[in-house]
Amino acid sequence: MAQQQNATFTVVGTRSPVIDAVERVTGQAKYTGDLELPGMLVARVLRSPHPHARIASIDTSKAEALQGVKAVVTYRDAPKVPIFGHRQYMLNDRVRFAGEAVAALAAVDTDTADKALRLIAVQYEVLPFVLDPEEALKPGAPMLFQDGNLEGQPRVLTRGDIAQGLTESDRVIDRVYHCPTMWSGSMEPRAAIAQWEGDRLTVWASSQAPMRVHGNLTAQFNLPESSVRVISSYVGGGFGTKSAPHVDETLAAMLARRARRPVKLQYSREEEILDSNTRFETRVYAKVGVKRDMTLHALDVRCYTNLGAYHTRLGGLGNQATHIYKIPNLRTEQYRVHTNVPNTGPTRGVGDPQETFAIESLIDEIANEMGWDPMAFRLKNIKRNGDPIARGGSGTEDGRLIAQVLDRCIEEGSARIGWDRRNTVPGAAQAGPRARGIGVALTERAGGGGPGGASVKVNLDGSVVVFYASTDIGTGSRTTLSMIAAEVLGLPLRMVRAVAGDTEMAPADGGSYGNRTLQVTGRAAEAAARDCLEQVLATAAPMLKAAAADLEVREAVVRVKAEPARSMPLREVMQRRGRSIVGDGSVAQSQAATNVERTTGAHFAEVEVDRETGKIRILRYVSAHDLGQPINVTVVENQIEGGTIQGLALTQAEEMRFDARTGRCLNASFVDLKPPTMLDFDPRVIEPIIVPSVGQQGPFGAKGLGENPCHPGMAVVANAIYNAVGIRLREVPFTRAAVLKALADQRANTSRTA
Amino acid sequence: MADDHRDNPDQSVSRRAFLKGGALATGALSSVLIPVPAEAQLPEATEPDPRRTVVELKVNGVPYREEVPNRTTLLQFIREHLKLTGTKMGCDRAQCGACTVILNGRNVYSCTALAIEAAGGEVLTIEGLATSDALHPIQQAFIQHSGFQCGFCTSGQIMTTKALLDRMPKPTEDEARRALSGNLCRCAAYKRILESVMTASRLT
Repeated sequence: MAQQQNATFTVVGTRSPVIDAVERVTGQAKYTGDLELPGMLVARVLRSPHPHARIASIDTSKAEALQGVKAVVTYRDAPKVPIFGHRQYMLNDRVRFAGEAVAALAAVDTDTADKALRLIAVQYEVLPFVLDPEEALKPGAPMLFQDGNLEGQPRVLTRGDIAQGLTESDRVIDRVYHCPTMWSGSMEPRAAIAQWEGDRLTVWASSQAPMRVHGNLTAQFNLPESSVRVISSYVGGGFGTKSAPHVDETLAAMLARRARRPVKLQYSREEEILDSNTRFETRVYAKVGVKRDMTLHALDVRCYTNLGAYHTRLGGLGNQATHIYKIPNLRTEQYRVHTNVPNTGPTRGVGDPQETFAIESLIDEIANEMGWDPMAFRLKNIKRNGDPIARGGSGTEDGRLIAQVLDRCIEEGSARIGWDRRNTVPGAAQAGPRARGIGVALTERAGGGGPGGASVKVNLDGSVVVFYASTDIGTGSRTTLSMIAAEVLGLPLRMVRAVAGDTEMAPADGGSYGNRTLQVTGRAAEAAARDCLEQVLATAAPMLKAAAADLEVREAVVRVKAEPARSMPLREVMQRRGRSIVGDGSVAQSQAATNVERTTGAHFAEVEVDRETGKIRILRYVSAHDLGQPINVTVVENQIEGGTIQGLALTQAEEMRFDARTGRCLNASFVDLKPPTMLDFDPRVIEPIIVPSVGQQGPFGAKGLGENPCHPGMAVVANAIYNAVGIRLREVPFTRAAVLKALADQRANTSRTA
Repeated sequence: MADDHRDNPDQSVSRRAFLKGGALATGALSSVLIPVPAEAQLPEATEPDPRRTVVELKVNGVPYREEVPNRTTLLQFIREHLKLTGTKMGCDRAQCGACTVILNGRNVYSCTALAIEAAGGEVLTIEGLATSDALHPIQQAFIQHSGFQCGFCTSGQIMTTKALLDRMPKPTEDEARRALSGNLCRCAAYKRILESVMTASRLT
């Protein structure tokens, strides 16, 4: 694709509004919960009040006898097929977090369903529980699974000799960073509707990955792929929590089969918070060693990841360390531990924001400790374009080279924020109660991976439809994939539409997660459009009495390149042909190993800390990203701005708190989790920068971007606070109480040493 | 969890009365076309039920008359009875603003207003904003600035904007931020939402 870089585009790289904008601003877009089928029942889920218990008995007879109740299911009815390859069945005879589904039922309306739920009698044999990942690894800790609470083996990456590296270092510091379990859901709570027609199952699901849901349902009900259809048309956000199959789709399908009627299962907000694969807790113990010449020499990281009861994806920490910096001696050791907090999963990065907080704080700490400019220290040690790539799994280098412009992100971002205005002596006295400071943090993430597919159809009037089984969760993929097809086929964007999230109409495709949709599905859409183009030109060649190779399409007109007047509108070509054209596009597994691309960025924040109230204000925030060729500039900026605020949100709120006595979540509501409103962070201060670059794998040199803007927020704010007032916050969120306590500790230390 | 369900001791009356509701206007017709489950065919009640009230109100200019359980929220009335699904349920606890509609000129969280409170009133939902010929200028502004990502909160953002501009046609940016601060956007498209509101204030 790199050869495209000098081409001039007509559609790609513009700022077109998204093509489904009218639907979204008029209320016409139909999300899963808006759909209604004839005879549809509503489902409700009974959830455990205990964080850990065995179900001694469960009696559903009274609920089943209630008029209007059409189906009840318990663990006895659940297929013994784990959901998405992890350890959880649809329902289990044991619950491992407070809020886990125990039974589900379907009834003619919500009132009947709610009433029936209270008629289910469950006797729990309550078991001891554990909430902390390190506690869960100690001998005698309550065991969630027979083979222990540790998931698999500790994940270890090594390079060089860490012991020797630390010994050789001129300075070593040792720090601990903590991120709690955090809510990471979306505005639309989970919803699923299931309908059986004979042995054919159709499920409408609020999912990022309909194909994965499809795979789970075929396994749960032992059906051929042709008998299951999953549709996720409009999805009200996902951020990773909807990137894997979940119990809700399976429960709806099970109830619908029992009741022989369609069933809708819509989570309440509380259910969504408790049972939605939230952002996992991490505690990171990190040692870093440097040489006097400003080189990073050794990094030793031990991390405990709190997976909760179940997990959809294991966080692989170590990316930040292995991919951003050149470190000769490295060891990362990660323990992924089950506890009795709710299930977790990837959320805008598989642990990337948590890891970024630890590593980018640590880098800042050692630079300040040594009296070095933290930005200069980073520029000295980052990998640059052409340096060897480290593989994600092993951290080893395999000869491939990095293609990214992280250095330029740092340079452009620092120029914009005015890095020179920072306090060269962090925390140096400033007049008045408020002090300002500037911080920086970097992000890197692999995007893409896995095989993918899309297809494109040219209709008889020359209009075009793109079909893909991934979704548009608000990231604009309907639009960007349509723009790719329009660019290839020489059409104005208004002639192209996209059908998203339908597993029956589109070829297999992983889903919308991991910076993947544009890069992999988009590349498949490009291939499908090129297939169509070839067929269009072959069809038109005899009509224009020219060789297909001499033809092109411009503005929906097929013409001879050297003689543009010899032309025929695409519409006429298709009408004469009388048959539609279908183009197949796929990215094969063999290509998958190389279709991973690295997206990087540098964030800078100027903050103001009020020493009297502990309040932190973001005065300016610059998000500079390397994302290859932007397909739609507006979509890119929207992703950067929104992702940046999501990253900042983690600095102030969204911690899920659990009661040590009962193990229950204490703040499962928006009021108590406090996701940011327009007043919490002034959105006007966020300045996105698109740093020019060309990707190697994606369509027209594009790279996936969605994940990265969320990563640096915690670290960049912590670093800016240090620069302002000289306190180091190593636990999020940075509440006013935490800021005031750190300032008080600082004063106490100063007076002791004085 | 299971303990916050509202009690409704008698389903049968509600179903029968809903079907008897009679004066259903156009927006409600689709629900009548749905096949009636067998259990809805129940004996006639003989006494008027004090737990139910006939509500008359206008939604998007269309008059409706429906008998509903007293505790029916305005959101349930709009979504489930009238089948106007552009108004979203994000929390059902007046904490997110996805359900915002305009009741008698004021923006309200329809999840925590009762339908009977709206009786005699005029409700405007997202479906009532555009004419058959043109989008409302606020909708045009949200498209122009891409003031959304996933779109789930967008109806609420737009209805709050409408109420704001009706009472304060030329707000400052800070006034607009305060007015919109009751509407969460999890995608955090706030910068563009604010730009949309300011552009809309110039267009309207």
